Amino acid sequence: MTKHSIMIIDDEKIVGDMARLSLEQDGYEVETFLDGRSALDRLEVRPFDVVVTDLKMKGVDGLQVLRTVKKRHPKTVVIMITAFANLDVAIEALRDDVHDFFPKPVKLKELKASIERALGKDGGH
Amino acid sequence: MGQGVLAGFRSISNSLRQSLGGGAPADPKTLFAHFRAVLDHNNRSLEVITDMGEKLGGDYLFDINYTRSAYESLYEAISGSIRNFALLTGDRYPQLAEVLARIDTLVERMFAAAGPEGGALVVPYAEITWDMAEEVGGKNYHLAEMANALHLPVPPSFAVTTAAFDAFVRHNGLGERLAGLAAGADDGALAGLRAAVLAGAVPPELAESFDRAVAALRHRLGPDATLAVRSSAEEEDGDFSFAGQFESVLNVPCTGAAVAEAYKQVVASLYEPGAVAYQRHLGCDPGRLRMAVAVVAMVPARSSGVIYTVASGTEPDTLLVNAAWGLGTAVVDGRTDADLFTVAKSGGPRLAASRVGGKETMVVNDGASGIATVATPAGQRGVPSLSEAEVLALARQAMAIETYFKAPQDIEWAVDRDGRTFILQARGLRVEHGPEESAADASEPLAASHLPVLLADHGTVVQKGVTAGKVFVLKHADDLDRVPRGAILVARHDSPHFVRVIPFLNAIITDVGAPTSHMASICREFSIPTVVNTGDGTALLGHDEEVTLMAGDENRVTVYAGIAHDLLREQRQTARRMREIYEFRRQKYVMRYIAPLNLVNPLEEEFAADKCKTVHDLIRFMHEKSVQSLVASATRQGRGIMGVFGGRKGLRRLALPLPIQVLAIDLGGGFVDGPASGEATLAEIASVPLRALLQGMMHPGVWHEENLALQGRDLLSGMSRAADLTGGGAAAGANLAVISGDYVNMSMRFGYHFNMLDSYCSDTPRNNHIYFRFVGGAAAITSRSRRIQMMASILAESGFIIKTKGDLLVARVSNLSREDIERILDQTGRLIAFTRQLDAVLDSDETVARLARAFLAGDYRVRP
Repeated sequence: MTKHSIMIIDDEKIVGDMARLSLEQDGYEVETFLDGRSALDRLEVRPFDVVVTDLKMKGVDGLQVLRTVKKRHPKTVVIMITAFANLDVAIEALRDDVHDFFPKPVKLKELKASIERALGKDGGH
Repeated sequence: MGQGVLAGFRSISNSLRQSLGGGAPADPKTLFAHFRAVLDHNNRSLEVITDMGEKLGGDYLFDINYTRSAYESLYEAISGSIRNFALLTGDRYPQLAEVLARIDTLVERMFAAAGPEGGALVVPYAEITWDMAEEVGGKNYHLAEMANALHLPVPPSFAVTTAAFDAFVRHNGLGERLAGLAAGADDGALAGLRAAVLAGAVPPELAESFDRAVAALRHRLGPDATLAVRSSAEEEDGDFSFAGQFESVLNVPCTGAAVAEAYKQVVASLYEPGAVAYQRHLGCDPGRLRMAVAVVAMVPARSSGVIYTVASGTEPDTLLVNAAWGLGTAVVDGRTDADLFTVAKSGGPRLAASRVGGKETMVVNDGASGIATVATPAGQRGVPSLSEAEVLALARQAMAIETYFKAPQDIEWAVDRDGRTFILQARGLRVEHGPEESAADASEPLAASHLPVLLADHGTVVQKGVTAGKVFVLKHADDLDRVPRGAILVARHDSPHFVRVIPFLNAIITDVGAPTSHMASICREFSIPTVVNTGDGTALLGHDEEVTLMAGDENRVTVYAGIAHDLLREQRQTARRMREIYEFRRQKYVMRYIAPLNLVNPLEEEFAADKCKTVHDLIRFMHEKSVQSLVASATRQGRGIMGVFGGRKGLRRLALPLPIQVLAIDLGGGFVDGPASGEATLAEIASVPLRALLQGMMHPGVWHEENLALQGRDLLSGMSRAADLTGGGAAAGANLAVISGDYVNMSMRFGYHFNMLDSYCSDTPRNNHIYFRFVGGAAAITSRSRRIQMMASILAESGFIIKTKGDLLVARVSNLSREDIERILDQTGRLIAFTRQLDAVLDSDETVARLARAFLAGDYRVRP
C-alpha cells in the first residue's frame, strides 16, 4: 500500500518538526515548509493527499494556499490551524473548502483523527 | 514584562508601609479578603502551570506565541498573588518580588533565544542552563544536568567554555593556522601547531577566571584536592562521541597555574593526527571545532568503572557494571581484567550475575607526577571491587540517568573510600537494535494482551506514559526513605513530600489526590507517569508486585500484572524522538523556571522567601505563610476581641449540646441569617468547616459521662469565661471560633489541653486545608507522649502530615475535596473530644495501640 502524503506549512519550525515526527511514526509521508511560497512551488511539482497549513503567515498566507490547492488539486484535503481563535467568521466562510480547523495548540491526537477521517481511514464517511 | 517589575512592587511596598505606618492591624475582613485573593491568584497560576505542562508535554503542536501568552497570564496571576500577599502580611516578605523579577529575566532571555550574558569564559556547574550546551560542550552539559536537575552526586566542577577557547586562539594569534587546517596538514604541521598551543600563553582574563574558579573549589574541597581536566567536545546528543580522542589530564593540583597548563595540553590534543583524522571522518573541519573543557574534582577513588545501561539492543533490561580498584582509566581503556556485574533492571535493580576479575594491575594517584599503574596488592586481586549494595546503588543512579535522558547511557563512576558514589560522566550509548526493536509486536509472549489486568480505568491521569516496576505500597510517611529507585509508588494520598523521591520513581498511583497538586506538577515536570484518585489502588496492587502501568488520554488507565515489553518499547521510542527537536526542548525549558518545587517542608529552615527559585516555590511559600498569617490574625482577634469588633457586635454564642461553650465571630457568610446577634443553633451555622468539626465533636459517644463528671471544673470555668466575654469582661483566648462560609479558626481549651484548628473548606480542592495544633499538659510525661503518639497515629490515617515535639503536635493536610475535608474535620472533632478523657487511662503503649484501633473502628469507649 502506498503511503499517504501530508504537507505541513507553518512559519514556526517547531510545529512542522513535531507534526512530522508524530505523523511519520504513523506511517505517513511528510514534507514540511516554513512559508506559503515554497509550499506552493512544491505543489507545482507534486500533489499531496492532505495539506495542513497555518492561517496567518507572512507573504503567502493560509487562505492563498487554500485557494491555490483547491484550484490545482481539488481532491487534496486542507486542514487549517491558527493561533487566533477569533476568526470564526472567516472559517465559516471557508467551511466548504476546509476539511477541519484547529486553534493552536493543536492536540496531535485530534489532528491525526481528522486526517484519518479525511482519508476515509475510520471506516469512511 | 522585564524592567519595571521591581519598581512597581517597590512602590506598592512603600505605600503599604505608609498605610501600615502606625502598626495598626488591618481589620479582619480586609485581611481575609486578601487571603482569598492570594488563593485565587495562586489557583489561576497553578491552572496556567498545569496547562503549560500539558501543552508543552509533546502531545500538542504549539509555537512560541502559545508559550509566550501562557507565560504572560502566569506572570499576571502570580503578580496578583504577591500584591495581595504583601497586603495580608504587612509586606513582611519583600524578597518575593525580587525572586519574580529574577525568574522573569531568565524566561525573557529564553524567549529572546539569547545566550547568557557576556560569553563567560568559565562557568560553575550550578550556573549551567539549558541554552549553554554548545558553549560548555556535551560532557559539561550532561554532568551539570545530572547535578542540577537530578541532584545526583557529581564532583564539584566548572566548565571552560568555547568562548575561552576563542580567547586563547586570539591571544596567541593561532587563528590563521587553524583556518589552514581545513585544506589539509601533514603530521609535521600538526606537531608544530600542538607545540604552539603548549607554548602559548593563557590570556589574562582567562587566567583570572581559572584562579577564581579554582579558589572556590579549594575552599570547598580543601588544599589537598586534585582535579581532572578533560575535553568536553562531544556533541550534546552524543552523535559524535569523540570517545577517547582527546587528552585527559588527571591529578592536576588545585591551582590556577596548574589548571592553565593542563588546559593547554587538552586543547593541544585536538590536533593529534588521530583526532584530526577522526574529525575529518565525521565531516567536521578540524580547524573549526572549538573545544570546551571540563575541570572536575578528582574523587579519591577506592573503586571505579563504567556502566552500560543496556547490554545490547536485544537486552534492554540488562545493565552492565564494569569495576576495578583505584581510578577508572584501566577499565575505560580495557587494560585490566575488571569485575563484571550484570543487573536486571525491571522492577528495581537486582544482581543477576557477577564475574570477579583478576585485576592484576590498578591505576592510582601518584602525587605530583599524575597517575601510575601499579600491581594490585595481593589481598585485593580476585576480590570484588564493589559490594552488592554498591552495585545496586550505582545501578539505580544509572537508571535514573537513563530515564531522564530517555536513551541508553554510557556512564563513568567512582566510589570513594567512604563508600560514596559519584557520577563522573554520562553520554548516549549507541545501541544496535535487534530487528524486533523497531515495532511493537502484540503476538510476543510478554505482550500486554497476554497479561492479567489488575486495575482498569480508575482515577485521573496527571502525567501520561507507559512504565513498569515493582509496586511499593507506602503505609507510613517514614517509609519514604525506603522506596527503591525505579519503583512504582502506590500511596493513599498525594503529598508534596514525595518530591524528594519523584525523580527516581517510575510512576505514582494514589487513592486520593488532585491533578493540580504540587506533587502533580512535579510529576509532569519530570514526565513521571502519574495517576491520582484511583480510590482503591492501594487495595488492588500488591507490595513488591511487578506491574506495567499504561496511563493514556481521557483517563484511560490500565495496570497489568507483569512487564509488558511491547508497550515499554513503543513508549521509549516516541519520548526520545520528541526531545530531539531543539526548539521543543528550548521552549519546554521555560518550565524549569516555573514548575519545579524546591520548598517542600514548611518546618525546614530552607522554607524561606529568599530560597524561592521558581513560580511554584512562590505559590507554595505564599500559600503556607498566608495560612499562618491568617491563623495569627485570628488569634490576635481572639485576644483583642472587644477592641477589634467594637463590643459584642458580630460575636455569637453557639447553643450546642456540648460540655463546652463556643463563641463565634463571623467574617462573612458564617451564619445563615447574616450579621445577627444572640445565640446561634447548629442549624443557623452556615460555615461548612465549623459545622463539620462540631458534628464530629457532637458525635454520639465521644464525650463520656464519667469524664463529664471529672470535667466539672473545666466545664464551669469554660462557661464562666464565655460569660465574661459576652458580658464585656476579661478578654480570653479560649473556645473561640473565627468563621466565614468556608473558613474556621477555632481555639479550644479543656483544662490543660489547648487545641487550635484552622481550616478552609471550599469547592476548590487546592484552596482547602486543615491545620491542627494540640498542646497537652497536666499528666505524667510518659502519659503525655503516649497521648501524642495515639493522636498522631489516628490523624495519620486521615492523611495528615504530622510533626510532634514533646507535648506539641502539629498536623496539616491540604489539597483535598470539600467532602474529604468535611470528613476529616468530623473525625478530628471526634478526636478532640475523645482525647480529653485519655490521660487517666493511657497506662501503657498497648493501650495506645488498642485505643487508636478502637477509635478508628468507631468505638469511643476508653475502657474495654
